[in-house]
Amino acid sequence: MDKFDLVIIGGGPAGLSAARIALEAGLSVTLIDRSISLGGQLIKQTHKFFGSKAQYAKTRGIDIANILINDLDEYKDRLHILKEATVVALYKDYVITVYQFNKYFKIQAKSIIVATGASEKVLAFENNDLPGIYGAGAVQTLMNLYGVLPGKEVVMVGSGNIGLIVSYQMIQAGVKVKALLEASDHIGGYLVHASKLVRLGVPILTRTTVKKAYGKNKLEKIQTVELDEQWNYIEGTETEISCDALCISVGLTPLHQLLSMAEIDMIYVNELGGLIPKLKKNYETSMPRVFACGDVTGIEEASSAMVEGKLAGLLASKSLGFIHPEFELLEKNLVEQLNNLRQGPCGVKIRLGLEKAEVNSHD
Amino acid sequence: MNKASIVVIGAGISGLSAAYNLAKRGLKDIVVIDKAYITSGSTGRCGAGVRQQWGTALNCILAKKSIDFFMHAKEDLGYEKDIEFKQEGYLILSTSEAEDKVFDKNVQLQNSIGIPSQRLTVEEALKIVPHLNPNAFTSASFCKTDGHINPFLMSEAYYLAAKKLGVTFYFFEEVTEIIVKDKSIEKVITDKRVIYTDKVVNAAGGFAREVGEMAGVEIPVFSENHEILVTEPTKQMQGPMVMSFSKNIYCQQVPHGSFLMGRSNPKALHDHDISSSWQFLDEMAKTVCNILPKVGQLRVIRTWGGSYNISPDHQPFISDTEQLNGYFMACGYSGHGFMFAPITGELITEMVFGDKLEDYAKDLNIKRLDDKNFTDFEQSVV
Repeated sequence: MDKFDLVIIGGGPAGLSAARIALEAGLSVTLIDRSISLGGQLIKQTHKFFGSKAQYAKTRGIDIANILINDLDEYKDRLHILKEATVVALYKDYVITVYQFNKYFKIQAKSIIVATGASEKVLAFENNDLPGIYGAGAVQTLMNLYGVLPGKEVVMVGSGNIGLIVSYQMIQAGVKVKALLEASDHIGGYLVHASKLVRLGVPILTRTTVKKAYGKNKLEKIQTVELDEQWNYIEGTETEISCDALCISVGLTPLHQLLSMAEIDMIYVNELGGLIPKLKKNYETSMPRVFACGDVTGIEEASSAMVEGKLAGLLASKSLGFIHPEFELLEKNLVEQLNNLRQGPCGVKIRLGLEKAEVNSHD
Repeated sequence: MNKASIVVIGAGISGLSAAYNLAKRGLKDIVVIDKAYITSGSTGRCGAGVRQQWGTALNCILAKKSIDFFMHAKEDLGYEKDIEFKQEGYLILSTSEAEDKVFDKNVQLQNSIGIPSQRLTVEEALKIVPHLNPNAFTSASFCKTDGHINPFLMSEAYYLAAKKLGVTFYFFEEVTEIIVKDKSIEKVITDKRVIYTDKVVNAAGGFAREVGEMAGVEIPVFSENHEILVTEPTKQMQGPMVMSFSKNIYCQQVPHGSFLMGRSNPKALHDHDISSSWQFLDEMAKTVCNILPKVGQLRVIRTWGGSYNISPDHQPFISDTEQLNGYFMACGYSGHGFMFAPITGELITEMVFGDKLEDYAKDLNIKRLDDKNFTDFEQSVV
């Protein structure tokens, strides 16, 4: 069995950022990702990022991915990348099993950074498995990565930033967005995105959700229903909308399975999207030398994932005996960046959630 | 004040069957407590096989009586769904002359109890399971009335029937203490309430020893992790469960097309570990590729572990005890509690009501361990 110093599982914004810092600190790194290209969900994000310069504001997601990937080039000698490699299991004896190119093999890691990201949540309603019903992230992949349209007439469910941005991108690509449904009484994402949609004539229906889908072999129409203040259906408000695609954008949930499998201490935190690991301040889980960062530790933006990845890479390296030449400066700067990203009313849920998952020690 | 005529600890298949049978007999105020939910322990983790091909008379009788119930369980329990009883037999492989002889003896014993098992040659076995590797075994035994049942549906069937008869269930509630006074039970304390009762059924599966200790009752059982895996579904290709004690494997295709398979780990510790290991996956893959090469081509979906609660002779304790009045136990099934559940519930009920038991049932008593003449030991296990 091959043995490695540091294995990073997941080559998205968090994993790539952690890899760079750990390499700078002098570690040898093995980076494993299940996709054909590194970058995680960044590679389908053709929109420009918000925020501050430190997290590549005004740069498109796909370009950020390339910057992060190119940043690793100078450390080729100490970097081992496995692409199209799915980590199928993480065991308590630090054995990681991998499935790549139709082969199953085992490696053993001295330390591990888990940066597996998140997956899309689904909605339960009748016929929700009809072809033509997608997650919003899947539509983004389909259009922006493969150049395939999801359908001609689409209804979007969910008005978070992903739902708003993907609706806009579909319109840009020539798809008719017939309506955007939102179960709560207000729009979840930035109003600047929502305003664009309204100007383009997309009706945004709050307190409304999808109740049922119809179609023989694929989606033909949906039934919507209004919701009361307790989120119950209001009988008699059912309306039908014909469409050949339905796009579900109701949030993300951390891909916690590897951590759970290794019986690492987990906690269910609603504010952060689901089950996440309890973490020490240095991002260490209850399994010694196993760290976690990015969306797997709670759903946030890609910008936070990058900063968290760097910080986890920095602190993990330190606890493995590799102190980054600019450790103190970096630590101070990264903590500040994270605090800035999480400040204000938009960060309330995140701050509350993170507090629940933080522990001083794992005793 | 919270009172119960009897408190059943554990809502696995044994506790559910006990509660249902007690209620059916007319007992009121039955309470079942589980620290999680039905099927969350060993029942929901089991290999889902039901067999009658055993090496001891006691296990044969328990198995046969249980199969007799399973055949009309759906109707008896008034269950709306199907319990997925796939009665296509167990094919057990022998791999040596010594094992051939054991199988001869076992089949003779089984037939004497009315179990329709038979000895098969390699050629005959291949007719039943054509994808067997003919070089991997020397002979087989087969019983066509053995098979598979879905443990989740079977548990739900018992649960709903018991609820209909008025049994109270407390889920996600843990028994923390059993208070005993003058050799009698006074009350059961959980993390949520106190229940006054003079009778307890210990159906705690992997935690049977601990639930014994709570009442000062010593039960010489221990728990051990047994791992299992499930593959992607494929077209129906294997009727019976294929099993080998010497090669350490059981492997069955379940009705929706997946294969379930497991093996024991000779190095397993005596504890409550139920985690998965990469070693299991390695060894399981090697074993199944040797015996059932075609099954070896399927992809694995998931692996998991569960506790076998093991008794010194691999036969269960369905028993009261001289150590404490009103204390009953259904434990130590050594990996076979699911398939013995129907008779477990019936016997516990007879004991609680003070009936005279059939002769064979006296060997289920925990006292058998003190009997030097009692030396029956079940060896036909994986």
